[in-house]
Amino acid sequence: MKRFLLILTLCIVYGASCIVFADDVVFRAEAPSKVIAGKPFQLTYSVNQRARDLEAPDFNGFEFLAGPYTSQSSSTSFVNGRRTSSFSLTYTFTLMGLDAGTFTIGPATITADGQRYTSNGVRITVLPPDEEPQQTRSATSSGQSGTSGDSGTSATSKSAGSDIFVRAIVSKTNVYEQEALQLSYRLYVAGVDFAQMGNTVKLPECTGFLKQELELGDRQFELEHYNNRNYQAVTLVSYLLYPQHSGDIQIDPAQFEAILRVQTRAQARSIFDDFFGTYENVSRMLNAPAITVHVKDLPAGKPSSYSGGVGHFTLTPSISTTNIKANEAVTLTLNIQGAGNMKLLKTPSIDWPEGFEPYDPKVTNNYKMSGSGYSGSKTIEYLAIPREAGTYTIPSVAFSYFDISEGKYKTLTTPEYTLNVQRAAGQSGNAEEGAQTYTAVNKENIKELGTDIRYINTSEPTPDSPTHQLTGSPVHQFPGSPKVILLIDLVMLLLSFIIYLLHRKFARENADQTHVRYKRANKVAQKRLKAAQQLLSGDNQLFYAEIEKAAFSYVSDRLRIPTADLTKDNIAELLHQKGIADELIQQVNEVLSTAEFARYAPTTGAEKQALYDATANIINQLESQKI
Amino acid sequence: MKRLLFIIVTLTLCIVHCQSSTAFTDANDLYAAGNYAEAASLYQQMLTEQPSAVVYYNLGNAYFKQGELSQAILAYERSLRLDPSNKDTRYNLRFAESRITDNITDNRAFFLSTFLTNVRNLMRERTWLWISLVTFVLFVATLLLFLLSAEPVVRKTGFSIAVITLVLSVFALVAAQSLHQRDTLREEAIITQGIVNAKASPDKSGTELFTLHEGTKVRITETLGEWCNVSVGNYQGWILLANLERI
Repeated sequence: MKRFLLILTLCIVYGASCIVFADDVVFRAEAPSKVIAGKPFQLTYSVNQRARDLEAPDFNGFEFLAGPYTSQSSSTSFVNGRRTSSFSLTYTFTLMGLDAGTFTIGPATITADGQRYTSNGVRITVLPPDEEPQQTRSATSSGQSGTSGDSGTSATSKSAGSDIFVRAIVSKTNVYEQEALQLSYRLYVAGVDFAQMGNTVKLPECTGFLKQELELGDRQFELEHYNNRNYQAVTLVSYLLYPQHSGDIQIDPAQFEAILRVQTRAQARSIFDDFFGTYENVSRMLNAPAITVHVKDLPAGKPSSYSGGVGHFTLTPSISTTNIKANEAVTLTLNIQGAGNMKLLKTPSIDWPEGFEPYDPKVTNNYKMSGSGYSGSKTIEYLAIPREAGTYTIPSVAFSYFDISEGKYKTLTTPEYTLNVQRAAGQSGNAEEGAQTYTAVNKENIKELGTDIRYINTSEPTPDSPTHQLTGSPVHQFPGSPKVILLIDLVMLLLSFIIYLLHRKFARENADQTHVRYKRANKVAQKRLKAAQQLLSGDNQLFYAEIEKAAFSYVSDRLRIPTADLTKDNIAELLHQKGIADELIQQVNEVLSTAEFARYAPTTGAEKQALYDATANIINQLESQKI
Repeated sequence: MKRLLFIIVTLTLCIVHCQSSTAFTDANDLYAAGNYAEAASLYQQMLTEQPSAVVYYNLGNAYFKQGELSQAILAYERSLRLDPSNKDTRYNLRFAESRITDNITDNRAFFLSTFLTNVRNLMRERTWLWISLVTFVLFVATLLLFLLSAEPVVRKTGFSIAVITLVLSVFALVAAQSLHQRDTLREEAIITQGIVNAKASPDKSGTELFTLHEGTKVRITETLGEWCNVSVGNYQGWILLANLERI
């Protein structure tokens, strides 16, 4: 596009400067854009070279009255020794519109320098002819034209023939709050000789609106068919209004001064006066009526992110980067495009994550004012600097506005951005620098220069180091888990309990046996003694065996010692412990040793009797001692 | 045939061992030359094959030198899990922890529980298990001595030793169980994100409760989707699982 414009500009400059030298043929058609039906007008074709064979198009919808009349003009001038000449050949047709409507006259062709050239086509709007003024006109003209509904008129008309008035025109009378509407004052002239606008102008205050004057370009009268009459009309002033509150807001009447030229009716003082006529400037005040605009309140349910925008907008977000280093800047750009009250848009705020240092957003406006309001774009740049490494999420930003065409609120959102912030280049070196600050107090002799982590371990790692949960593949070595140990513990306890029980049972049984024997010791001994008594005169061998058994088993049972464990020494000791007199112990020992001895060395009957008595004696004595 | 197989297996093991130790010395050389990033990646590679306390310790050093505080702390912690008695690792871990922004003070922690935790962390789970087993065997033996002996002196000493060994055994078993739980549940984690805001609910729009910085050790008490509830000191809040790494 830019390139095209450049080329076009160059062409125009070139063509303008050397129009004569160049063989550029300009062949143009010209006609008024608006004509009145039944009134003739002229259509001209002009060419800047000598040309011939004009071939006119069909004048469809128009009546061909006359033509073509040809006129030629050429001029040559010397400026600073430079010769410039221009030439123009004009064909004029006189046409007349028949019916109201818009018609297009196609291009014409002409031959110049042996080549055919084609002109532009023209588009002509034919307005209906003036109707005979009626009495009702004055009625409507004094007030508002209620039928159209969108405009108010004021006319100061003296007669049907001459008419001049100013209309106040609003583009809309039913608007939403903050919705733009255009207010313009338009002058209509017909049948009077209008000279210029006077200096006295009273424009309305437009309270309740935000007023913005619209730049009107070239102000030229143009034909306009209004109220069945064709007027020369021109827009005097135009505003863009933004209603600031709801309700019926009245725009006060306006007043304009127009200066008309009126032919004096005074007596002609000379024939020349009469011939040329005398004119007088007459000032006339024109009133434009008040207009009421109905402003609707914006519907309820404004989103929390409502920006105050009314119109239609689009949002284009962009982020400079999503992968940056700490302490480097990141820019989030929101480009709001559209039409509406761009000027009143609030800047949405971004909720930067913790660790970001945000700066004030930079707003660039690029919008133009037009009849329907502002349109263009507004660019908001948010700059922030992350200070810490990590992955951050910039939450989405919502921008809400009221869409007039759809009559509801709309919310535009940006996507969530995930920012990967890497450690700043210089930060890795900080490990050592930061460590310097941890210098400990000086001790007696050792001066610490700084602290640092200890050096790596260079000894080979043992290959059989146990695998840890960290890798997810634990090696099953013996005490795998506390449960195993607990199980082993329980088994051991059980085993020890069993051992204890067995031992107890055994001990008890043992204890029972010795107890029985203890109780029965005397009885058994007496039995044995009785048996021995019968053997006094009998077999020596058996007698001594009985005596020995009687003595030994008695002692053994009474002392609860198994017979096999009996020795003279432990018998003496045990008896001593039980508090038996040493004399008796001596006797017991003697009996036992005699019985033992006599068994293997048989002796006489008298000794047998003595042994028997001694044995009976010690048993009786021990029994009486209750050991 | 069996012999051949044995030889092959031994040879393979030898080769594997030699290779890994070459990588180890290579990584150590890189570290010595100040090329910490490459050393770290080599250590990391070794750890995927065979975790080792020494390699974790060296990896922690390589990360620390690069300024990767959270990764360094993670590596030290893991090294201590494998070899809790290493003084160098403890020193470096404490050193790295001294550079964390967050100063965690738990007013609720009872001094005895801190002490017991420290005692627990002195040894590995396996060591505690062995201690428990041996002391229990002693306990059973002395118990039997106490029960079966008729001698009062033996019974008396047997009883006191049995009580002491039982207490020791139970303590060792509890410590082992506690370590076992720590290693299987892996509730402890290190914050890897520079700054994290803990929320009141597992939701991005949740109320922000407090801010945590990189390297801080937290305890995960609950996980829900991509969120986890962490407790640190007297505080408790939800943060994204992606912002931390379990030890």
